[in-house]
Amino acid sequence: MDLLVVDRVVKNFGGLRVLNQASLVVKKGTVTALVGPNGSGKTTLFNVIYGLTPADEGEVYFRGKKITRYPPYQIYREGLALAFQLPRLFNQLPIMDNLLLAAPVNSGENPLRALFTRPRWQEEERALARQAREVLELLELTPLALRPAGQLSGGQRKLVEIGRVLMAKPEMILVDEPAAGINPVLARKIYATLKKLQQEKGLTLFVIEHRLEVLFDFADYVYLMDAGRVVLEGTPEEVLAHPDFYTIYAGESRPWRVL
Amino acid sequence: MDPLFYLADTLIFIGIFSLLSLSLNLEFGLTSLGNFGKVAFFMAGAYAYTLLAHAALPPYLCFLGGALIAGLIGLVITLPALRLREDYLAIVTLSFGEILRTVVKAEEGLAGGVRGISVPAVFHLGSSRADALANILLTLGCLALCFLLLQALAHSPYGRVLRAIREDEVAVKALGKNPVYFKASVLFIGSCIAGLAGGIFAQYLNFIDPTMFLPTVTFLVWMMLILGGAGNNWGALLGGVVVELMNRGTRIMKDFITLPVDPNNLQFIFFGLLVILILIFRPQGILPEGPVKTAARKEAQNWISSL
Repeated sequence: MDLLVVDRVVKNFGGLRVLNQASLVVKKGTVTALVGPNGSGKTTLFNVIYGLTPADEGEVYFRGKKITRYPPYQIYREGLALAFQLPRLFNQLPIMDNLLLAAPVNSGENPLRALFTRPRWQEEERALARQAREVLELLELTPLALRPAGQLSGGQRKLVEIGRVLMAKPEMILVDEPAAGINPVLARKIYATLKKLQQEKGLTLFVIEHRLEVLFDFADYVYLMDAGRVVLEGTPEEVLAHPDFYTIYAGESRPWRVL
Repeated sequence: MDPLFYLADTLIFIGIFSLLSLSLNLEFGLTSLGNFGKVAFFMAGAYAYTLLAHAALPPYLCFLGGALIAGLIGLVITLPALRLREDYLAIVTLSFGEILRTVVKAEEGLAGGVRGISVPAVFHLGSSRADALANILLTLGCLALCFLLLQALAHSPYGRVLRAIREDEVAVKALGKNPVYFKASVLFIGSCIAGLAGGIFAQYLNFIDPTMFLPTVTFLVWMMLILGGAGNNWGALLGGVVVELMNRGTRIMKDFITLPVDPNNLQFIFFGLLVILILIFRPQGILPEGPVKTAARKEAQNWISSL
């Protein structure tokens, strides 16, 4: 089933055409990767899908529903979540609170309920805290749970950004370079976790990634972008075997062994 | 003169200004909404209370009505600015304060224009001492109620979202929450509380006119919050007490000391200096902001201590 459909999206920044009729499809339950040279429009495409940047032309469909003009918070409620390339954490708030803020349901966020149904939302908070703990254990951040996010290192910030998205329990996740700035062991662990979520919970992943040696272990399908359009697609093996992949993106050398 | 009246006056003004400073803490301290028109919503509450009281409504309805009218005005005025960058809110609220005052000054039929309007007193207990005590109780009772309410909001998931909006609005949007809804609710609640303070002010003085609602009121409230500690309700309360006491202190002091400047300007010089010193040496205020305290935080404290 086609979960996410991007149909001929165009985006101009001034005179620069960043997305030039980009089209692609992400099937439900897959790990789909988006690769391409720097400046090829990958992050902009994510921003357009997520409603952070309005598209000039073209449409985006999620579960068959047109979401092109939806604001991000409505897209999130449809079951899509985005982990930013540069983590956007709430720096003065503890890591714990950063995770809790991503919970899809928290009735105490309504001001009237916050005042009048305190026992109920306190119970919900306890349940969410346990969920947050699972995420923290996974990311090996449990001892830092109550530290303000602003005190974290770059790699740890990236982890919290991904943790927030996991906390949201969406149907599909857009992740912009999950492994950037993270040590190889942990990067593999993050991917293994994402893969596990895909296999056990049917989570769909759409990932921008430059570390191909990590990615090709996990991706089911790959899109290659160049100059704002999708130029090549297929399974990792097909893409790796295609000569254009090397001229456009990977260069002559092949440090990542074909799997 | 009976010192009770001076004490009553001090306590009631502390109560009124603390209410304003607490409401600004919700708006600016937690949500970073720069409301530079606090006096406008204070004034709207005072005039709404007065007009309702002249319509012979029971006092509790006048207070409630004054607060709600101020709240609704707050909502209507700020809604267009909420979608824009935050500086626009400051411009809109600041100019609204001036507009409202100018309109009330020019208007004759309803609220007396420049001549002001008398406000019927709530309490007629037979002696003015008893009335003063009743007024203290009313003011401090309202203050206690609003403080508890704001404290409950600040330490709830709602309060957490407000702080998140202050930190990064785009991230809040990406996590499924509409910041405009939260900001609008904050300005409604904040303006209601300012309106309630206005009602208390009007009914205590028994008379209001437009010259009582100059922008200085707004700046005094900002000073209270910055000094006490933005983001902390206790800080807002402390700021209200300290600044009001200093305000009175300098007024008394200038009768006893001689200075090479006009003694009337003493408090402005003193306050200006104080704000500068606080911003340089303790920008977080006397009582800095603490974390959101909910059951989730207790859980986390338990795991960390058992590690």
